[in-house]
Amino acid sequence: MSALASRLVQAIMVALLIGAATFAMMRSLPGDAAWRIAAGRYGYDNVDAAAADAVRAELGLGGPALPALLQWLGDLARLDFGTSLVTGRPVAAEIAHQLGASASLALVAVLLSLLIGPPLGILAGLRPGGPLDRGLLVASTGLKAVPQFLMALVLIVALAVQLRWLPAAGHGTARHFILPGLTLALGLAAVNARIARDAMARIAAMPFWRFAQWKGLSERQTLIRHGLRNVSVPLITYLGLQFVTLVEGVIIVESIFGWPGIGHALVHAIFSRDVPMVQGTALVLGLGFVVVNAAIDLAVRHLDPRVAA
Amino acid sequence: MTLLKAEDISVRDGGTVILEPLSLQLDPGEPLVILGETGSGKSLMAQALMGTLPPELDAKGRIAIGTQVLNAGAPARFRGLWGREIGVLPQEPWLSLDPLMRARDQVAETHALVRGLPRGKARARAGADLAALGLGGSETRYPHELSGGMAQRVAIAAARAGGARIVIADEPTKGLDAARRDDVAALLLTEMGETGGLLVITHDLALARRLGGRAIVLRAGAVVECGATDQVFAAPKAPYTKEFFAADPERWAPRRHAARGGPAVVSAKGLALSRGGRTLFEDVSLEIFQGGVFGVTGPSGCGKSSLGDALLGLIDPARGTVSRRSGNHPNDFQKLYQDPVAAFPRKRTLGQTIADTARLCGARPGEIETLRDRLGLAPGLLARRPGAVSGGELQRLSLLRVLLRNPSFIFADEPTSRLDPITQARVIALLTETTERDGTALLLVSHDAALIRNTADTVLALAAPRPPCRPDAALARRRVASTLH
Repeated sequence: MSALASRLVQAIMVALLIGAATFAMMRSLPGDAAWRIAAGRYGYDNVDAAAADAVRAELGLGGPALPALLQWLGDLARLDFGTSLVTGRPVAAEIAHQLGASASLALVAVLLSLLIGPPLGILAGLRPGGPLDRGLLVASTGLKAVPQFLMALVLIVALAVQLRWLPAAGHGTARHFILPGLTLALGLAAVNARIARDAMARIAAMPFWRFAQWKGLSERQTLIRHGLRNVSVPLITYLGLQFVTLVEGVIIVESIFGWPGIGHALVHAIFSRDVPMVQGTALVLGLGFVVVNAAIDLAVRHLDPRVAA
Repeated sequence: MTLLKAEDISVRDGGTVILEPLSLQLDPGEPLVILGETGSGKSLMAQALMGTLPPELDAKGRIAIGTQVLNAGAPARFRGLWGREIGVLPQEPWLSLDPLMRARDQVAETHALVRGLPRGKARARAGADLAALGLGGSETRYPHELSGGMAQRVAIAAARAGGARIVIADEPTKGLDAARRDDVAALLLTEMGETGGLLVITHDLALARRLGGRAIVLRAGAVVECGATDQVFAAPKAPYTKEFFAADPERWAPRRHAARGGPAVVSAKGLALSRGGRTLFEDVSLEIFQGGVFGVTGPSGCGKSSLGDALLGLIDPARGTVSRRSGNHPNDFQKLYQDPVAAFPRKRTLGQTIADTARLCGARPGEIETLRDRLGLAPGLLARRPGAVSGGELQRLSLLRVLLRNPSFIFADEPTSRLDPITQARVIALLTETTERDGTALLLVSHDAALIRNTADTVLALAAPRPPCRPDAALARRRVASTLH
């Protein structure tokens, strides 16, 4: 219970910090915000000084910073995220729309990474120093070292352009999930596999592993009964940290694959100086981090009774 | 009917024989004890019988278990016997139970997977097994909620649930105090009963005497003596057996008491310590003098190690005062740890680690060599890593490192609890000799009352705190920390 309470405090702190930081950053960006917002509304070709002035007057952009920030915080306390400066629609509605697309992509990526990384890691950890272990070390180090935008381009060139197996971009059918999902999953799996490998190697060297076999259990039974649950504890704990990688990845991958998600929206909102959208999106991502970690805390407590003790 | 008959088991490491041909047999209701110091080959014998020898070692000989005859050189074949014919009582019962599984499930899975009982029946049988061992009501506890003794009982139930009639226990009393040691002996004898077989590998003489049956004394891979345990103890024939028994702290000649000189190096007045809100002891006052050995003994968890830590200033007392002789540098007060393996970094050579200390405290050149010779350590040892030297050598190397500091006070925390008797006698002799020779004050903590009685000038016996303490909980917490990394 106290763990949840501390997460709640954390959530409030995160909201305040993110709100203030995005506000300050958006204010300090170079260029005329009114021009950018006008461009976002009417398109770059239709902007002139009159349109920019009209936007400036409408939104009161020239005003002092502090009241604007306090206004935003006050609205936030009433769960009002404000309206988008570009589309004029409520920010909450925009985010709700995009969040679904992002969450489904993130979920696919995590599931894919869990299918790729941990099984390979566990097999490698059962034979530390074996060919699979050494191969996996090279492969995961290599994959982790490839930035996501490059990984995305390599996959597009190979699987979409050359082999024509999958669509290069777009959204809608299950086939569209594969390339962006795989781009994110490979980066996650590279680390997952290492975590699973180290946990498995450590567990296989523990006396209880040996003792399970002395009781008469086969290698397979030992793995299923005593390996998986023990490996899952560090793996799930680490999943919470991987959420950061995932959010970073989502922003890049959505932009590359034209995925109508929250990351894509964040990039566009920054370009067109849509401050309420930027604040709202960053806030949702930050709070998502807190929620995911709270859920992981609960899961680990459920799996490992010693943590609760 | 003989349960197990091993003929001419020998073990070689490349060209060298490390266990000479040894035959033994296990009969129902008669324990067999293999006694020997570290490196005598007694654990190799147990590993050869279980087929768990490291692959680089080469075993020979025939082993008949029940109706099967196996070749010791083909260890893969033994796997099918585990749990079904041979049950192993692990050395560290706590670490041998899955930390994430309830006690009953750990026993039930053997019933279900090894014996093939349906799930519900397996659970019921497991519950009955635990109840028979006095663990009724603890079925749904996790290992970290069990005491060491309870964990040991769960482990033996789990090891035997597959139907194993033979129990092999390798050093089942390592690091246990006298009361726990007697519990283990009683548990093993009960489990063996009239029809089971029991093979115990140990250097614990008190355990061997309690178990009775037959005994084999090993030294350097060869049998020195064998016979009925009572007779071997009553009238040892081989000179080595006599030396081995004489190393038992019970039989040590009491040390001549040192003369008191000068002011106390360390003293405490009205000291009380508590851990986790529970009082360990109260109102302890003591003075430790130069050249004197101050002994502290008591059951596990009574706070004897904490007392030493409080005297060093590593933990704060709940009440009372500790004073260390003025004019001394904090580094003049040193601690010798219980587990020498854990006290050295694993991946560096011992020489590098010790050279670091020498540099840090500005030791004179050649001082390492002088101390090394004094402690009877071969020069080649310093080039090795901690894993590649024996426990006794490593503890002497720890002592060397402590002595480099030229300490006025040494707190030796169970310095020999992981060593065999002969090595223990040697290390304790070196410690007391150092104390007298350098005028160091020594605080010696041990669960072995006889060792303390025969070594110390002054003895402080601490009682178990009430309610009975659970040092286990602390260990369990430490394990959580390590699992989370």
